[in-house]
Amino acid sequence: MEFIVTEINQCDLIAIIGRIDSFSTPQLDEVLKTLVGNDHYNIIVNLQDVSYISSSGILAFVKIQRKFKREHQGEIVFVNVPNLVFSSFEMAGFNTVFNFFDDIPSATGHFSGIS
Amino acid sequence: MTTRTFTANYKSLAIISNFIVDQAEMAGFPPKEVYAIQTAVDEACSNIIDHAYGGENLGDILIKVTESTKKFQIILVDQGEPFVPQDVPAPDITSPLEIRKERGLGIFFMRNLMDKVVFDFSPTNGNTLTLVKYKGD
Repeated sequence: MEFIVTEINQCDLIAIIGRIDSFSTPQLDEVLKTLVGNDHYNIIVNLQDVSYISSSGILAFVKIQRKFKREHQGEIVFVNVPNLVFSSFEMAGFNTVFNFFDDIPSATGHFSGIS
Repeated sequence: MTTRTFTANYKSLAIISNFIVDQAEMAGFPPKEVYAIQTAVDEACSNIIDHAYGGENLGDILIKVTESTKKFQIILVDQGEPFVPQDVPAPDITSPLEIRKERGLGIFFMRNLMDKVVFDFSPTNGNTLTLVKYKGD
């Protein structure tokens, strides 16, 4: 799995490439932890090039989203989520705790609207 | 029947997934079902590493795939600690995120995605997990 992190309109955009499973989840945890540790709270995750996500991968995002909700600041949103990958979020009931957007401008627009 | 043995570590998960995807595609399943089978097996193997062996590189996972005109069956065998599915609570998938407990998602995924999920343990054979997907639904 590879990550490309860029800044766009006061948001951090993480593009993930490959599989998100129990092998790669610790790397994902680390990337998210670093962003949050540096007070970066507007996180957009592009899953366009993700071929698979396991429950452990979903829970890495859930952990941070829960922290954001409890602290009333910050949000993780997703863009370009392949249907099969989305089906796993849906099955676990996490489609209702994240916002999903079709493209990056819609996701950055969401953050401009709430800031 | 195709049988393969993998070292029980997280690095094996991608190799196991490739093996299972190939087998499911050869059995004629459409992409949605192939993804479902891949997910069920990946969750099963992660559970074996995390819970049966309690860590990486402490044993093997034997995977047997059989196919007939009616069904596709995957048997996973490990020599770890006995796994008792009844001890794993059903995950909470509806409460507000702040108070939600997610434990048990792996088994929940397996049961949702496969037509049959059977856990068995014997002192001689270890844990045997049978996952079945019927064809032509």
